[in-house]
Amino acid sequence: MQAVTHRPARGRTQGTYGALVLEHFEHPRNAGRYRPQADVIEGAAGRPAQGAAFVLSARIEDERLGAVRFEAYGCPHCIAAASWLSERLRGATRADLDAWRWTEAADRLEVPAEKWGRMLVLEDAVHELARAWERLGEAAAPE
Amino acid sequence: MSAGLPIYLDHAATTPVDPRVAQAMIECLGPDGAHGNASSVGHEHGRRARALVERARAQVAAAIGARPECIIWTSGATESDNLAILGVARFNADRGRHVISARSEHKAVIEAFKQLEKEGFQVSWLKPGSNGIVDPEQVEAALRPDTQLVSLMHVNNETGVIQDVAAVGALCRARGVAFHVDAAQSVGKLPLDVQAMSVDLLALTAHKAYGPKGIGALYVRRDPPLGLRPLIYGGGQELGLRSGTLATHQIVGMGAAFELAELEREADVERLTRLRERLWQGICALGGVELNGDPQRRVAGLLNVSFHGVEGESLQFALRELAVSTGSACSSATDEASYVLRALGRSDELAQSSLRFSLGRYTTQEEIERAIEVVRREVARLRALAPGAP
Repeated sequence: MQAVTHRPARGRTQGTYGALVLEHFEHPRNAGRYRPQADVIEGAAGRPAQGAAFVLSARIEDERLGAVRFEAYGCPHCIAAASWLSERLRGATRADLDAWRWTEAADRLEVPAEKWGRMLVLEDAVHELARAWERLGEAAAPE
Repeated sequence: MSAGLPIYLDHAATTPVDPRVAQAMIECLGPDGAHGNASSVGHEHGRRARALVERARAQVAAAIGARPECIIWTSGATESDNLAILGVARFNADRGRHVISARSEHKAVIEAFKQLEKEGFQVSWLKPGSNGIVDPEQVEAALRPDTQLVSLMHVNNETGVIQDVAAVGALCRARGVAFHVDAAQSVGKLPLDVQAMSVDLLALTAHKAYGPKGIGALYVRRDPPLGLRPLIYGGGQELGLRSGTLATHQIVGMGAAFELAELEREADVERLTRLRERLWQGICALGGVELNGDPQRRVAGLLNVSFHGVEGESLQFALRELAVSTGSACSSATDEASYVLRALGRSDELAQSSLRFSLGRYTTQEEIERAIEVVRREVARLRALAPGAP
């Protein structure tokens, strides 16, 4: 997985959605949340009052993310971005999570500039997932 | 429902032209139609157009209990509101610079008052209760010796809430203060009587009552005459208050639409009340929904609902099988959540997750049943995706 760090194109105008957004909004992948277990981590960011809220939960398998699930509150771009990301993050390392930037989702999903702030909230959720992973590692480390 | 198009539940935004109205308009067009200039009464073409214009004026006047000479043709309710508010305030500026309105008014009224603020007027903005109603006592408390105008809408375009304009009118009449009412949403839904309501100025539009877009009217009290400064100068039509060649076919359409609206009002209201109640019961069964506006004092065909746990833009997009309006910021033309719902004390979140269903003359029971089915399915689907879903 490679991080995209450049600024995204301005994206679509408000109220229009690209094919990828339509596909993920209509058929979200990996919706839901894992029950807390030893190999499960979780990262959350945002509030409904802010217009966007995300929870990402994942199983860790061999130092990589095995499967990722999401919960999302927000506009169609938000729901589609979380669904798309749940597939994108499969196999990611902790370093990949730290390096991930919102611009990749904004680019791929043609998110309009007015909504870039919501993609930043998604980035926060990804980085929270990395922090949870870090804490899991610390807890598992020998005394 | 037209094939391939969403179910139209946005009649508070605009209505389709009734075929009977369209026919009356068509008869004005073409070489054999009433194409003469209604001001050119020196020949038969002009006199023919003038007769149709005056017939329509009488039809509109009859729908609001007014004399025909009190009706001024405009381009719609926005122009009527502006002419009334700016016209009266500017004409009487030397008598007082205080005016009163409410935060839940239509933008056509709010922006006209903001213009007055720029011109040195002081505006008292009344805050409606959580049910959307402005208490006449609030108006009474806000009146001052230098108040020269009060403006209050009859039916709110977002919630359908009905204001007690007669009580406010009586207050204003007793104090000698001009009273303007935006009645864009009232025709065909409620009886209107400018005398009984003590209204001095009343803004009307055709396209909310199955007439054409681009035509409206302003009722102006004539007895005693009310001073008004025009917004448009030119040929001096409409007693010098609104210059410009009269659009005969549009005017004929408005007259026909208002006559039909009055004739069919009771039957329409009874049918739409039934359909709206069925829609509300069907949506209510979801749980986590809130009715916006007073549950009793509202017009028949309008239902404004906020949905907990669902974001407004996603909701509207998920419901694209239905043509409805939303309080969401992202998909409306403005950059803020519904200011009307926020004026009622709703949070940004609930204002954004609101939908306005407005039913109309051609809405069927089957369409309402389908709307209930789609709303239930999509709200449940979006809630299941949200954080904290059960």
